[in-house]
Order: sequence, then structure tokens, then C-alpha cells
Amino acid sequence: MKDSRRGNNSQPRTNTSRPNGNQKNQKKQKLSRRQFFFVIIQTQIGVGILSLPYDLHKAAGKDGWISLIGAGLVIAVLLILIWLLAKRFPDKHLFDYIGILLGKFLGKCVSLMYSVYFIFVASLVLILYVRMINIWILPLTPRSVLIVLMILAGLYIASSSITVLARVYTILSVLLVFLIIGFSYVLREIQLIYLFPIGTEGIMKILQGMNAGAISFLGFVVILLVYPVVKGTDKEKLWTIMTAHGFVLFFYLFTVFISFTFFGSEELKLVPAPLLYMLKAFEFTVVSRIDLFFLSIWIVSVTTSFTSYLYMSGIGFSSLFNAKRQLPALIVSAFLILFVTFLPGNEEESIIKFSTWISRGGYLFSGILPIFILIIAWVRKKKEQGSESSC
Amino acid sequence: MGFFRKIFQTGEGQQEKASGPSVKEPQQPSFLKLSANIDYLTKALKNSSDLKVRILNDGKAALLYYESLADQEKLQKKIFSQIESGRWEEVLDLPHGKHTENLEEALKTLLTGHAVYVQEGSTTLTQFEVTSQFNRSVEEPINERVVRGSHEGFVENVMININLIRKRLMHRDLTFQYFRVGKKTNTNIVLAFMDGIADPNIIEQVTNRIKSVTSDAIFSPGYMEEFIEDAPFSPFPQMMSTERPDRAVANLMDGRVLLMAEGSPTALVLPVTFFMFYQSPDDYNSRWISGTFIRLIRLMSFIIAIGLPAFYIAIIGFHYEVLPDDLILPVKGSINEIAYPPIVEALIMVIIVELIRESGIRLPQPIGQTIGIVGGLVIGDAVVQAGLISNLMVIVVALTAIASFVVPSYELSTTLRILTFPLIFFAGTLGFVGIVFGMLFILIHLCKLESFGTPYFAPVAPLRIKDLKDTFVRLPLFWLDKRPKDAKPVKSKAIGESREWTKIERQQKRK
Repeated sequence: MKDSRRGNNSQPRTNTSRPNGNQKNQKKQKLSRRQFFFVIIQTQIGVGILSLPYDLHKAAGKDGWISLIGAGLVIAVLLILIWLLAKRFPDKHLFDYIGILLGKFLGKCVSLMYSVYFIFVASLVLILYVRMINIWILPLTPRSVLIVLMILAGLYIASSSITVLARVYTILSVLLVFLIIGFSYVLREIQLIYLFPIGTEGIMKILQGMNAGAISFLGFVVILLVYPVVKGTDKEKLWTIMTAHGFVLFFYLFTVFISFTFFGSEELKLVPAPLLYMLKAFEFTVVSRIDLFFLSIWIVSVTTSFTSYLYMSGIGFSSLFNAKRQLPALIVSAFLILFVTFLPGNEEESIIKFSTWISRGGYLFSGILPIFILIIAWVRKKKEQGSESSC
Repeated sequence: MGFFRKIFQTGEGQQEKASGPSVKEPQQPSFLKLSANIDYLTKALKNSSDLKVRILNDGKAALLYYESLADQEKLQKKIFSQIESGRWEEVLDLPHGKHTENLEEALKTLLTGHAVYVQEGSTTLTQFEVTSQFNRSVEEPINERVVRGSHEGFVENVMININLIRKRLMHRDLTFQYFRVGKKTNTNIVLAFMDGIADPNIIEQVTNRIKSVTSDAIFSPGYMEEFIEDAPFSPFPQMMSTERPDRAVANLMDGRVLLMAEGSPTALVLPVTFFMFYQSPDDYNSRWISGTFIRLIRLMSFIIAIGLPAFYIAIIGFHYEVLPDDLILPVKGSINEIAYPPIVEALIMVIIVELIRESGIRLPQPIGQTIGIVGGLVIGDAVVQAGLISNLMVIVVALTAIASFVVPSYELSTTLRILTFPLIFFAGTLGFVGIVFGMLFILIHLCKLESFGTPYFAPVAPLRIKDLKDTFVRLPLFWLDKRPKDAKPVKSKAIGESREWTKIERQQKRK
């Protein structure tokens, strides 16, 4: 039975094989669309969520939520473009077709840039996470301990197939429900008046705010890498991408909305992590300081988005060196991330500088480059021949 | 004789070499001469003292058997009654005797408790089944008691076990396959499955794995388990053992495979999922609401068993502020006088509980109870009085111990108690952050684990919403119309329309 199945796989583009522990077959393992949905949202929702309301408010004042919606719409357009690109190569991921489109050398260069970018993002995630933990929960714990733990967890998830990663993400998404329930409790204390009058901050400020909003959505690049292993037709996948985006937008909007209406414009200038301060204020009969529980759940969200970047850089490196196995590439990425994490030091300013640079890189790698690749694909009319979009 | 012996010895040597790698059965044609036959057999069986050679009919015939294996009554009835009536020639051709001309085969049947009848001037050997059996009654297994439902249990005789299953599942698709495993012990391993429901891939996988075991000795399915499971380094059991025929049959009907062995009352069920360990036959025998309630309690016990001490340590050691104001004073009062940090306290207490459990488990019951009382009450009380351990910690550890025994499976209960330790360490060093990472590692491990190619943490990861009907809750049986997908059953429909009578009755009333 097994042998005959493997025989099937050797023919090009038959993706009907069932999951099988075999290394060779691992790429053929398929994700369901539900898993695809959770992979996207878990990659997007991560470190940024704690400071998102603060950043938005800093840029666009009390109209920050409008900026967020605007950014969400822009990203939605971008997602369609990304979908168009991914659709052209139903059985290949980004690093596979970069080489075909840009030529071997240039393709390798861009792959390398992507991998390095992913490593830097992963490091940034680690830096922000460690800073937050040091401020809120464990002021005396050495940074390295927290960093190494996170990297180990990420490696453990990423070291097996993408299906396991998707399984873990799916089950961990239950925690998001707890977060929404927790935040909903705050709804009884909000003052809608803080949002009014709407739109007085001016167009320019709202546009500036869109920058802060757009950054929080970065992470959708994962679509380009995971798309080929998802079951379903292209239209169904687009629908999944859009619902995932819609969910993330709703989730962000919800958090921004409650922090804006809970604190008000004047107070919000002083609280860099408004969600935590908000929850800190509540005390229940059996438990107080629910912000600590919230932070614990947040760590899980951070782990998932960190793991995604680690996984993506691992794919990048292994395709760069044409490696058959992914584990060595993942370990190399993990060490590079560990190294980069200690680069900017622990000062507030250097961290901010580091994160600004990386978010600028986000525009390049999540926006400009994919569009550029798509245009090249259009111009050179490159497309995968004769393949229908698999089961 | 010496000449013969030489031939035998060289022949044997060659045969042994040949039988090494290949599975070819050794062959040795029998001789015309009676003494040669007897000689060969007694020599091959190393002149063991319990091998009886009865010379009959003035040395013209002989009967060989192990007196330790043979049942005297059966011998009398089957053979000697014939001999007594003087019909020597007919003994060879008695209908219940099995003929062979292969001495090696006769040797094997001798070892399973047959008697072999040999006659001068004939190469035919007749084997009579005279095995004596000592069977326990099929009483309820003490480690899997239920309140309602069947009180039968498997015994050490695999034939009786198969009988118990066949009587519950009278269908032609029920298939048993025998394997001989263990080069020296020659243990009979039985693979049972429902053909047409169980996934043929899984059966093939299991068969291959069983055949590849080349150990000298296999004593029980538990022994087999380590040879054929997917991840031997995982703390979680990847096969479920049961001594209950009803549980075994229910699992067969889910499309799972059963592994039994001669000499052990335990049947192994595979592939399994984590949540199967939290199901008990009781759930299905009681009303579904109470079944659901009890199952929820059991699953809650999982969280308590692995997480409660860690959670307590994290709060006491790191996150005092989580306690509401009213609770701070009592807690503080309880732990104020304690000399050790909470992690040491917890470790001491958990180990004491393990000591009490382990010492009580093998003792005769009255002494076991004494140990329980001395250990639990006296030590527990004295340790608090002496100010070594806070009474809150005693409560926490006692709760944890109780919770770990709620799970209906003994293997998983041990796993839970072992998993407590790493979590205690994580919580003692990093507080909540440590617990989060510890739990995360366990969860990832569960998601990664596979049992014979099927995901272990199904139906939660990968998520199958339809199968959740019988996971955290137990919905009414007529809603569980599809078999759980984790065992990849060939035929998924289990129940057709069974409550159509409600509609019919309603229509009749309307008329």
C-alpha cells in the first residue's frame, strides 16, 4: 500500500496523498482552510496588540480607529494582489518561484533578503516580548532565559511539519476567545463620548495613523508560503484569507475601541500599554490583577507569531541551500535570531530605532516586493502550466 | 544409534542455521523405528524430568506427554480407555488424533500440552489434545470497576477472552489473527479487528510491527507495547489497556484494533487518542446528562492534576498581587512561619504522597489501609503542626493526588503525576511565564504525537467539530451516529435512523 502510494506521489502534482510521517511526503501534507485561517491570524496577532491603541493614538489622536479601518482596507487590497500572485503557482511557495521569475542569482538574493528580514522580525518580536515581561511580570529574570525559552518553544513547534504547526495554532486560538471575553467585561465602564467629535483630527493625521495601523497587520506574508499546501479552490482560499483579515481587523478594532473609550484622549497619552492598565483596574471576588493572566495568554500569541517567522526563515534558508531537511536550517535561523536579539541592547531608544527600521522593511517585503514579483510574473507571463488547483 | 545421532546433530545444526534469518519451519521426518523416534524427541526436549514416556504393549508403542501440561482425566478418556479394551491398532487411527510424520511438529505440539502416540514400524505419529487448563473465573477487573454494566473481565487464557468478545459481537467481520512472538517464549499474540470498519493501513502497520519484533521473550501486551509504539520517549501512553470485554468490543466497533496475548488479561487498544483515556463505560451506561457532567469533572481533574501545585507556587512565590485583598491575610498567615520556599514544600509533599501510594499498593489490604491512615492523617497533620509545611500546601497536594486518580486509566494517571514535577520547577523559577511555557510544551507535544499514523490529540488538534460530541461531553447516543474519525474507520456511519418512531407517534396522535 505504502509503496504504491509513494509511486503516485512521484508523478507531478498529485496532492491526494494522506498525511504520513515520511519526510518525503511532508510537503504533500495538506492544511484545511480552517487551519489556514488560524495560521494567518496567529501570525498577525502578536506582540503589537498591547501597544497598538497607544501607537494609533499617538499618530492620529482619538480618530485612530478610523486610521485602523483605513489601513485594514488598504491591506485588504494588498491581500488580493498577494492572492493573485499565489494563485499563479498553486504548487509552489514564494521561495520556489522567486528563482523562476527573477532568474537564479537574483532569486537567491531576494530569498536571502527575505530570510534575513524574517530573522530580524523574529528578533524584534523577542525583544519587545522580553521588554514587556521585564516590565510587568519578572523584573529580575535575565533576558537570555526568557529568550531561550521562547526560541525552544518555537523550534519545538516548527521542527515538525506544517500540519502540526497548524494544529497547535488552531488549538491555541481558543485563548483569543478568552481575551475577547475578558475585554468585554470592560465594556461596562466605557465612555463613548471620548470618541466624539469624529474626524476632527484632520485627514493628514489620520493618514499618518494608517502607518501605525498597517504595521500591526504585517505577518500576512505567511500566506505566500503556506498557500500551496492548503486544500480547496482558489476562490475558497481567497475567502479564507479575507475572513482571517476581517477577524484580525475586528479584533484590533475592538481592542482599540475599548481602550479609547475607557481612557479618553488625555489619559491615553500616558499609558503605553493601555490594555494591561485597563484590566489591572478590575478586581473580582476570587482573583484580582487579571492583567497578569492576560499577559500569560499574550505570551502564547507572541510564541505563535514568533514561530511563524522562525518557520518562514527556516524555509527560506533551506530553499536557499537546496536542503532537503528543514531542521538544520531552522536551528541556524534560531541561532541567528538569538544573535540579532542582543544587537540593539536594552535601551529604549535603540529598541525604538530597531523597530522603526524593521517596520519600514515590512513595507518592502510585505508590500512592494510581492507586487513587484506579481508584475514580473504578469510581464513574463510565467505561470505554472497545466495544473488545476488541486483537490 | 551413534550413527543416527551424528546425522541428527549435523542435521539439527544446519537447520538451526537455516532457521535463523528465514522463518522456515524446521523439518524432521519421523523414523520407522520406535526407539529412534523416542530418542529424537527426548533428546530434543533435553530429557526434562516432567516428560513422561509410557512404553506400552511390550515395547511396541509409546505415549509421550508432559505430565505437567497434560490433564490426567483427558488422557484416560481419550487414550487409555481405548487401550484398556485392547484395541491397539485403533489408537493410531482414533478420530480425535492428529497425524503427522514430522518429528519437529510433534515436538511443538508436545510443548503445547499434547500427548504423542508412537508405534513400532509406523512413521505416523498421532497427537492428542490433552492440555490441562487452570482458569480464573471471568470476574470484574479490580482496576476497572463500573457501577452499571457488565461485570465480566478478561482472564489469562486468550481463548476465553476471544470467546468473551465473540459472544458480544456476533458478526462475520470480526477477525482474529494469531502471531507467535518471542523466539523462546513463543507467546501467542492475537490481533482482533472488525474487517470493513478498521483501516486496513493501520492493520498492516500493526502486523508489520509485530512481525519485526525479534525479542527472545514477550510476556504480555504491555511488553509488546514498547516494541511497537510510535514514540517510546513520550510520557504519554499511546495504547490503551483494558481488561473489560465490553470496552474492547466498543473500541472494535469504532474501527480500532485490539492486541491480546496468552497469559495476560490485558488487551491493548490502538490507535488511541488522548481523550479516550477519559472515557469510561460508565458514561454510556448512565444518562447522558450525568455522563457529560462526570466527564467534564474528569477533564477538569487533568488540569488540576498537572497544574494546581504549579499554579499555587507561582502565586505564592511570584504573583502575590493576584490574590484579592480578603484572601491575602489567611494565606499569609498560613505560610508565614514556614522555613522553606514554596517549591521545596511542594516537592516534599508530592514525594510523600507518592511514597504513601507506592508503599500501600502491594501490601495486603489491612496493612495498606493502616499505611494510608498513618501516612495521610498522621504525617499530614504532624507536618503542619511542626511548621514544616503550610496547611494550604497540604490541601493543594492532596487535591492534586486525588485529581490524578480520577482518570480511569492507570497509565495516564502515572503520567499526570510525573508531569507535575516539570511544571513545579517551571513555576518555581519563572512564575506564570514558566507555567505558560510548561503547558505550551506539553500541548505541542500532544499535538505532535501520533499513534499509528493517527493524531493523538484528536479531535481537538486537528480540530474536528463533529467528533467533539463524544469528547468533552457525551451527547445522547442516537446523535453519535458517526464513528470518530481519528481511527480512520472505513465505514463511518454507525447508527441509522433510530428515533423515527417519535415522528410516527406524533402523526398517529394527530390522526
